[in-house]
Amino acid sequence: MSETPLLQLDNISKFYGSITALTGVSTQVAAGEVTCVLGDNGAGKSTFIKILAGVHQQSEGTIRFNGEQVMFDSPRDALDTGIATVYQDLAMVPMMSVWRNFFLGSEPTSGIGPLKWIDTKKAKRIAKEEMAKMGIDIRDTEQPVGTLSGGERQSVAIARAGYFGAKLLILDEPTSALGVRQSGVVLKRIVEAREQGLAVIFITHNPRHAYPVGNRFLILNRGRSLGSFHKSEITVDELTQKMSGGAELEALEHELHGSGATS
Amino acid sequence: MKTSKKLLAILPALALVAASCGGSDDNSSEGSTDTAASVDSAAPAATDAPEEVDQTQGGDLTFHMITHSDDGPFWSVLKRGADAAAADLGVTLVWKPGVNDAQVMVQDIEAAIAEGSDGIAASLPDPDALVGPLQSAVGAGVPVITLNSGSNDYQEIGALTHVGQSEVIAGNGAGQRFNDAGATKILCGQQEQGNVALTERCEGLAETFSGEVVIEFMGLDADTSEQQNTINAALAADTDIDGFMGVGPVITLSGLRAAQDLSRDLTIGGFDLTPELIGEIEAGNIAFTVDQQQYLQGYMPVLLLFLNVTNQNTLGGGLPILTGPGFVTPDNAAEILALSEVGTR
Amino acid sequence: MSEQDTPTDAPSDVVTTSAIDASDSLAPAADERLLYRSIFQRLFIRPEVGAIIGIVGIWTFFWAVSETFGTVGQTFGWLDTASTVGIMAVAVSMLMIGGEFDLSSGAMTGAMGMLIIYLVKETGELGGRGFPLVIAIPISLVIALGIGYINGFVVERTGQPSFIITLGTFFALIGLKLGLAKRFVGQIQIGRTDEAADFDFFRLIFAAEWERNTHELEVRDALYIGFIALGFAILALAISELWFQRREKMQPAGLVVFFVGVGLGVGGLLGLHATDGVGANAALVAVMAIGGFVGLFGWATWRYEPSVDHGAMSLDSQMRRRVGLGLAAMVLSFIVAIVFDSSSTHQIFFPFTTQGVRVILYLVFAGIGIGLIAMASQAALSVNAATKFVVTSVFALALGIVALTVFVDSSDTKFRGSLFGVVLAAAVMVFVWAVLTFRFAERRTGSASADRFGARLLALGSVLLFVGIAFRMLFITAEELVAGVPPAKTSVRLLWFILFTIAMMWVLARTRLGSWTFAVGGNKEAARQVGVPAARTKTQLFMLVSVAAWFVGLLVAFRINSIQANSGDGQEFIFIIAAVVGGTLLTGGYGTAFGGAIGACILSIPAIGISSARWNTDWRFLIVGVILLLAVVSNKFLRNKAEGIRR
Repeated sequence: MSETPLLQLDNISKFYGSITALTGVSTQVAAGEVTCVLGDNGAGKSTFIKILAGVHQQSEGTIRFNGEQVMFDSPRDALDTGIATVYQDLAMVPMMSVWRNFFLGSEPTSGIGPLKWIDTKKAKRIAKEEMAKMGIDIRDTEQPVGTLSGGERQSVAIARAGYFGAKLLILDEPTSALGVRQSGVVLKRIVEAREQGLAVIFITHNPRHAYPVGNRFLILNRGRSLGSFHKSEITVDELTQKMSGGAELEALEHELHGSGATS
Repeated sequence: MKTSKKLLAILPALALVAASCGGSDDNSSEGSTDTAASVDSAAPAATDAPEEVDQTQGGDLTFHMITHSDDGPFWSVLKRGADAAAADLGVTLVWKPGVNDAQVMVQDIEAAIAEGSDGIAASLPDPDALVGPLQSAVGAGVPVITLNSGSNDYQEIGALTHVGQSEVIAGNGAGQRFNDAGATKILCGQQEQGNVALTERCEGLAETFSGEVVIEFMGLDADTSEQQNTINAALAADTDIDGFMGVGPVITLSGLRAAQDLSRDLTIGGFDLTPELIGEIEAGNIAFTVDQQQYLQGYMPVLLLFLNVTNQNTLGGGLPILTGPGFVTPDNAAEILALSEVGTR
Repeated sequence: MSEQDTPTDAPSDVVTTSAIDASDSLAPAADERLLYRSIFQRLFIRPEVGAIIGIVGIWTFFWAVSETFGTVGQTFGWLDTASTVGIMAVAVSMLMIGGEFDLSSGAMTGAMGMLIIYLVKETGELGGRGFPLVIAIPISLVIALGIGYINGFVVERTGQPSFIITLGTFFALIGLKLGLAKRFVGQIQIGRTDEAADFDFFRLIFAAEWERNTHELEVRDALYIGFIALGFAILALAISELWFQRREKMQPAGLVVFFVGVGLGVGGLLGLHATDGVGANAALVAVMAIGGFVGLFGWATWRYEPSVDHGAMSLDSQMRRRVGLGLAAMVLSFIVAIVFDSSSTHQIFFPFTTQGVRVILYLVFAGIGIGLIAMASQAALSVNAATKFVVTSVFALALGIVALTVFVDSSDTKFRGSLFGVVLAAAVMVFVWAVLTFRFAERRTGSASADRFGARLLALGSVLLFVGIAFRMLFITAEELVAGVPPAKTSVRLLWFILFTIAMMWVLARTRLGSWTFAVGGNKEAARQVGVPAARTKTQLFMLVSVAAWFVGLLVAFRINSIQANSGDGQEFIFIIAAVVGGTLLTGGYGTAFGGAIGACILSIPAIGISSARWNTDWRFLIVGVILLLAVVSNKFLRNKAEGIRR
């Protein structure tokens, strides 16, 4: 944590008309580190991602990337800066092949003058190599992505982000739809990405997934930050408790008024 | 005598009625060809006519012409006929074209009665909807003439007469032309499925034609190359076919091209006029086309209404007045082409 | 609460760093589920496979029921109809893959044709500009691009379904066509493209015609048979390459055998060209066939691993019974065909004539026979090589018996000639295949180089077949001229259709636009997120359709020199049907350009076929409807099957 963080957020707020989606959120992420953003449904996680991915612009606050203040106008803008986002619903086209998905939007071309075509041989080779680096042997890159398992699809998305020179990888709930084993696969990818020197923002509502891989934890609740902690400052139980604090109180209240049973 | 002066002006037109009433034998169709020239001479005169005639008398009269369509060359020629008659007679003509919607026509008819129309000429595509309103027009003392379609219902309405073409009789005439040409087996090609009028044309052809007639749908006008290829396939498969009749101008030309592709020498007849079709007749590639002379379907109702109102005349003896079939053949094609460019054929 | 969100994860949810390390082994394990899929399986799951089966079926059907349908003239006929519909269907397929519809595409073809004529006419219209075509054509292209752009722009801006937006364009175009036509010429038909000064030059480009009967080529049949034979030979090599396991080290001795076979084949071909007479021809065709077999065997010996373990033949009692009964039924069917007189209408007992009884008995026996043997050979596939060889040979024998029956049957010369040849060839091929698969080892693993080489051979063989057929169709021999074969004519629009289809196949497969088309149709949001310009891609697809409509409008305007205001109206549904028949998914993201082209052919065949068969053409749209329903059902079935294979 000694060097300048790759991404520094100060007092980010977002208002949709009179609705406040996010207020005063600050955190940072450095290269080779994982910052986990935790929060329950409606905590403001998706607004947070959309601001970083360039889908929305913050109403207040500053974003510094590599020390420079930036403002993203479009997803393309964010991508060009080096921020790649892997969405929960996955930016994948299920009926298209692995290699086409891998390169979608940034296909390598060769050609004469204005006549350009995709260098399919190169694209297939790179897709295969990059997947191999992630430990997945795709023998046939012509295979439609829709036939891959959820974890494999996440892996394709992560590999793609890494290949296209992302310095910061944002993962939106990558484990939420997965079983235990598949979640393990994805967490492993996060560790690998971190070790390759990427900065990772890992969004989740599951502290047990976040704690083993994270270096820093930002907790959101109802659009507010409940603090940004370094791993050394917090335990997994504290994390869980902080995250669900409000909700637990509510649940307790229910129990008091209801059957009276204790948890 | 104002009236006699006006009667003089309409004499050529009466001669024309006499010619077209005769029926469908060959002589009369020759006759109708001759009268085409008289229409030609009448048409330019039409623009001057209002100045010659005393306008005050005719100007009192207002006739309504209510039709179910004004699409395409057919109706524009018909309208020119009606306009010419109104100008010749010095009457006011209200042209109310419909959009194949009987409801709109019913409203137009009722409006015309309410306005105190002196006479209504209406086409009758949908008797169920239109007979009633027209009957009430007759009941209100407004003379009615049906035109174009309605030959089966004009008597029920109590209309003076019907001015139009019988599809069957038109087909009969075509059949005799094919007989004269010595054809033995005819393909009667239709460009629509389930169109009663088109089928009647083919059935009329079969009535008088001495050989065999094959009636078939040969593809839509919307895709002429498919039409041409389909006819080509039929001709190639049946080498006995030596005549082709298209019941519309486009399919007739498709038939010609199919025959030419196969180097087959067919007797080809068609229905209705387009400049291209007349050009092929002039060149001798197509034997004839049936012309329903729709100019008359516009002109005659106005004239007959006028005579009925001013002179209590009726024409036709309760029978419909047929405006067709007239035939365009290589003999008269050049003249017809010139007239069709003027817009009266 | 957060615990409740993921109840399944909760109990064993504590993932430690060591657990993550252990999970490393998960990935390769998952990959083992990917089975080897041969290129044939992959070909079988292509979207257009259903359409190809369909076109073969419908063509064969009309060929069988009509005397003239299979002739060159009528083939040109349905190809001509398919050309304009096909160009549109290919473009519309691409738009549909991109997830959109264009209902204005039909009306636009007519509108563009009319526009061209307005621009070139000297009198009356548009103030009598009388543009030469060299100016009029680019102007109309710009307008076409504009209409496509507007379609795309409005669809993207409003986010409304293109179905409804282009319905608006459709009506607007219809109104414009009618209104302008009546305003300018007082008619619904406008004509005389040939008033343009440079008409002749552009007519060559858009409507040049080829009259077969004026192009005599004496060596046509030799070229035809040569190309076809070579094409089939190369296809056989291609299939072997894809099917068998390559040797580590080639066996040059096989190459010698291969060339002996090639020599026999070439010798047979040359002999065939030099001689006349049925007997000699049959003998020389046999020589060619033997040459082909020897060559193929030599090729295989040279390149492929021999099969080691054939196993002992083992027919279980059920298979034995099926083969025996099947063969007996085949022999019975043959006897029936000989004993009964095919031309006799003598009544055996009411209402059956000798002829009728013969057909019924024959079909029953042959059906039972072929069915039983096919079932047995299906079962034999999974036993071992020896069993498979024996049962497949029996299957070939059964086909041979059918061929013999057809040969005996002299009631219909067309069937006797063509069908005999086809069935006999099928029998021989099945037998050759039985021998080869017995002798050589089938490939069970992926091999990129073999797949590539095989795919290239497949393409080469197909092109040779195509060239052979083209020679046969485009030229005439002196003999045929003397016999007085009817004229046959094609136009350059067929060439445009083929070129456009190939170009669009390439665009879909190899360009960014192609990739993005699938992406925006398959998952537009996902495509947008990774930086695909979705709006631009869709707009470009709309513009592609309008350019295709422009081109078709030109083809029509130059063909018949005049255009009806209603030309093309309603055709948009034909284009969409062609695309769907060709395997394109109505919901987008899946389909091919080639499928659209084949779909257009399938739709154009019934019109010509029914007319050729001299049936009542009133039934035509019924057939179109049935084709569409069959296509939708079978495409769905094939797609399910495809997904089954993928997994």
